[in-house]
Amino acid sequence: MRASAAGIPLAVLLTALVATPIGHAQQAPAPATFNHDVRPILDEVCSRCHNEKKANAGLNLGAFMDPTTIATKRDAWELIVDKLKAGDMPPADEEPLSAQERGAMVSALESAFARDDRDLKPDPGHVPAHRLTRVEYANTVRDLLGVDFRATDEFPPDDTGYGFDNIGDVLTVSPALMQRYLSAAEKIAARAVGGGPLPSPGVFTRRSRVRKIADGMIELKDILEYDAEYSIRVGVAGHRGPDDPPVTMAISVDGTPVKTVSVPVQLNAVNKQGGATQRGVYEARVFLPGNEHAFRAAFVDDETLKSIPAKSRGDVNQNVFPEFIDVAGPFKPAEPHVVKKKALVCDPATGSVCAHRILATLARRAYRRPVTAADLALLNRVYAKAATNGYKPAQSVQFAIAAILVSPNFLFRVEKDPPAGAVARVSDVELASRLSYFLWSSMPDEELLRLAEANRLHVPAVLEAQVTRMLADAKAGALAENFAAQWLGTRTLDGVTRDQTKFPEWNADLREAMKTETRLFFQAVLHDNRPISDFIDGSYTFLNGRLARLYGIGGVDGPDFRRVELTTDERSGVFTQASVLTVSSYPTRTSVVLRGKYLLETVLNAPPPPPPGDVPPLDEKDIGVAVSHRAQLEAHRTNPICASCHNKMDPLGFGLENYDAVGRWRTKDGTIPIDATGTFPGGKTFSTPAELKVLLRSRMPQFTRSLAERMLTYALGRGVEPYDRLVVKELVARTAAGEYRIQALVQAIVASVPFEERRGERKPGPQEAKGQ
Amino acid sequence: MIVTGKSLSRRTVLKGIGTTLALPFLDAMVPAFARAADAPVRMAWFYVPNGIDMRHWTPVDEGSLKTLTGILAPLDPIKDEILILSNLTTHWGRPLQDGPGDHGRALGSYMTGAQVYKTAGADLKLGISADQIAADVIGKGTRLPSLEVGLEEARQAGNCDSGYSCAYTYNLSWRTETQPLPPISDPRALFERLFGADADEPAAARLRRLSMRRSILDEVLGSTNRLQATLGGSDRRKMDEYLTSVREIEQQVARAASEGIIIEPGIEKPFGIPVEFPDYFRLMTDMMVLAFKTDVTRISTMIVGREGSVRSYPEVGINDGHHPLTHHQGNMEMLAKVRQINELHAKLFAEFLVKMKNTPEGDSNLLDRSMICYGSGLSDGNGHTHDQLPTVLAGRGAGFISPGRHIVYQRETPVTNLFVTMLQRVGVNPDHIGDSTGRLPGISLS
Repeated sequence: MRASAAGIPLAVLLTALVATPIGHAQQAPAPATFNHDVRPILDEVCSRCHNEKKANAGLNLGAFMDPTTIATKRDAWELIVDKLKAGDMPPADEEPLSAQERGAMVSALESAFARDDRDLKPDPGHVPAHRLTRVEYANTVRDLLGVDFRATDEFPPDDTGYGFDNIGDVLTVSPALMQRYLSAAEKIAARAVGGGPLPSPGVFTRRSRVRKIADGMIELKDILEYDAEYSIRVGVAGHRGPDDPPVTMAISVDGTPVKTVSVPVQLNAVNKQGGATQRGVYEARVFLPGNEHAFRAAFVDDETLKSIPAKSRGDVNQNVFPEFIDVAGPFKPAEPHVVKKKALVCDPATGSVCAHRILATLARRAYRRPVTAADLALLNRVYAKAATNGYKPAQSVQFAIAAILVSPNFLFRVEKDPPAGAVARVSDVELASRLSYFLWSSMPDEELLRLAEANRLHVPAVLEAQVTRMLADAKAGALAENFAAQWLGTRTLDGVTRDQTKFPEWNADLREAMKTETRLFFQAVLHDNRPISDFIDGSYTFLNGRLARLYGIGGVDGPDFRRVELTTDERSGVFTQASVLTVSSYPTRTSVVLRGKYLLETVLNAPPPPPPGDVPPLDEKDIGVAVSHRAQLEAHRTNPICASCHNKMDPLGFGLENYDAVGRWRTKDGTIPIDATGTFPGGKTFSTPAELKVLLRSRMPQFTRSLAERMLTYALGRGVEPYDRLVVKELVARTAAGEYRIQALVQAIVASVPFEERRGERKPGPQEAKGQ
Repeated sequence: MIVTGKSLSRRTVLKGIGTTLALPFLDAMVPAFARAADAPVRMAWFYVPNGIDMRHWTPVDEGSLKTLTGILAPLDPIKDEILILSNLTTHWGRPLQDGPGDHGRALGSYMTGAQVYKTAGADLKLGISADQIAADVIGKGTRLPSLEVGLEEARQAGNCDSGYSCAYTYNLSWRTETQPLPPISDPRALFERLFGADADEPAAARLRRLSMRRSILDEVLGSTNRLQATLGGSDRRKMDEYLTSVREIEQQVARAASEGIIIEPGIEKPFGIPVEFPDYFRLMTDMMVLAFKTDVTRISTMIVGREGSVRSYPEVGINDGHHPLTHHQGNMEMLAKVRQINELHAKLFAEFLVKMKNTPEGDSNLLDRSMICYGSGLSDGNGHTHDQLPTVLAGRGAGFISPGRHIVYQRETPVTNLFVTMLQRVGVNPDHIGDSTGRLPGISLS
């Protein structure tokens, strides 16, 4: 249980760690060394601030005066050593330690750690049967059946633990979810087979999903559930001058034009007296296979638009523009269309032999392991029952596929459990799933599954080559979508609001653009195998027109993202991207505290303890007017209780004050000039974000450990525990040895004991573990 | 507007349903509970987050309610139907030995009366919530044993509060000590939970499919039982959750198939979450009313906001997040905003009660035949206090409750005593609910 992983304050750790599960409490440094090199410094220097009364940073060293605590409170001791080595402690304004004293103390403690660790056997830990998250479910359905399924619309959000939504212990199944699994399974199976029948047609209005891509261009992305004809209806609204020529509008699906129409530009002229807007609706009817499609309506070569001022382009009295896209259907196609179905390896109409083949092929991939006779018998019984009930062969196959999709073998990653307490390698097919859900958030592909079935996947060279191959695949984008967005907290942008009066530019498009920038940046680091220091100061990013405007970067227009080399000091790395700067702000203003805390947690691996219940307020209405944010916080820090933590958070946060609550560069907050000076742990100072980054860059070991722990948590689907200490150390060492390249970290995780092994269930219940 | 046909586009329904939906009368579809003696008593719990400004909540006088003011003012028109209960406590919301994380504990301990085991993920452990104790006994009589609803869709990334897993701050209902029942927050999902995903398809096709659905579930149950035998410890626990869920769905399907009855919802399926919070609240609670009226379930919980909710309420001019505002430290402006939020919630709750009252059932109405608890596991959100909680009990429990009064209990009376009392009314007699110490006196004057 590491402070960063569990988000548990040090104060809690100190008490909770007494019951360490590994039996090394007897090991302790020779008392002589401890009493000579450690204890006097603790006593005379450190305890001035870290005592019972004045437990700065929640640390009271009174409980650390015994050498046996090195084993029982190891995490806290590691932190102490980190601080000593980094020169963060004692702080600059206290009496310094001589290099000799510091060295002797560090070496005494480190040799004690080494002695403790000498015969520490890595414990791979235990993750209970892992229910697929909704994202994993959707990706698996896509890869298994070629069916697009929007899980965020169909399933409730998964609960999170340790900062991620893929934690085995936390992923539960409720009856409400089961009901949704059942209805999703029926729908997905129907789409996978296309066995019909079509429901009666209706109009699907998704107007809230329509996005404006540019002036005169809108787009709707939506999933159609059936192979059928659909009518795409584009609404055009507005009014231009009487002499303006009609405009040409192209309606396209997935980039292919399906209809071009000429649109008159006085749509509401007849009606103008009443003030009502009359819409023109233009329709294109096309056959579409059931899946996700992008519908677009765009004015082509619209010369008149250039003469209309940008601010009037949304005004129905001064401009005409496409307003919405509705889709109606499904209609029975006028002529038959054959849609190739991934699931159908033969034509079910030919009889039960084919049906059995389809099901056997699917079940192996869906269960991600060789199928058993019992698996097949079950599916064949469902098929036979449907046939008996009078369903057509294709529909009968549908029911059997639905049975696959509600089976625990599909919904869960179940691994064979070694006997209680024993440790064993997971099987190769289990390893294949661990790997594919880590890197792709989806099922293993054929190559992986074949290697696993041949028991060759675990061979280190094979495994390493597979990781390299998988990271090069587009599906590895899942790591950016799921790991990075949770690690960096940018997933929370979905629920973020901004005060519209202060940030009028805030809207869903900007929010999406922010998320996209960080996602593409992470993907680039991963794909190009860049050093992880790029997260701190990589001088490139990905922008579209909207975001470039926010950043004040010229030459980038339009809706599409492109790579941009950053040439000024204003931006580099993820911590000065708008997404991160926004999630670490409040709806009305920036927060130096939240941003400082963010950097402490994410880069320096040193999260501060949570605040006490009774926190003094910030008088916000004056910020940016009469008093600076800095002056407010400095007043706040005269309170010693506040100061113990805020002395660490606030100075870092000031380094990012040049960015407002949506991440725009600023030199003033209201009327008050920004002062971005601050102090780094250890006493070095900085005066600009760029200088702050130089200092952050000097802490690669901490940053690597922080990232390694987060990624290990995500890869395993469980929290990082005290017994993972050596594993994490090894991950850091191997990443450093690999020039800090991100793929070195991924490879090290895949090669680690907890990733490849499993401990049989040993069950100290929560009560027992808690020592009650 | 009464939404009847399918001629309305979904957009129209979405816009219209929240604000103006009058619940359609579906007496033909509903078992007739004409006589009070037959009438099932419904129970619901509304949870509001981040505490309440109690100085503007608690009525000055005990006994008969006079004009309600402050936060409770919106409930004044319906004050003859409610009890205000003062001084109830959730002991296990307190830090005790567990340190920070009051929000993490407040919601979890509220309906369980149990200690919230401090973990960010591994070995979640709480207790069985009052609604689930009831559902276990009386839930078997209805299509759904219970219904869990919430109004907060976006999940937080990271930890929810000081080392407590988000499972504790998002889930009010716990079926077992380890299994939360996540609330449904998507309107369409709620509709489909109540009436089936295929509620808009012809009844004949639906009935035909029911028997297939049953076979699939039977097969899956059988194979899972065999799988179970090879597993140990926590894997088994996960499969148990899965199995009980499959069994429950199987029973629903079996009942629907054997009765041959499909309940017609009478409203069109909603689509999407209304942008404005009041519309969202109304849409979801309209469906709760519908669920009670059609007797799909008799037990429901509603999480108006998760603990620590940072929702802002621009509809009433509040752009700041709710939780940061509650750490007001006496700042008058922030306090005023907190009260506005408290009042908005109370107003929407009052609307729900009025709808219940305006829904006749036999010679009575739904509200008379219900017991609806509204409250929070925090009183002062600023100082994180877990006693002197805000609590309203609405409805008459079919002649059981004597409303229209303010009752002040002895300090430290567990709020779970209220839940024990509610459960006894419906024939569920738990020895205790978590830390409860007995019945809550004074609810009934008869």
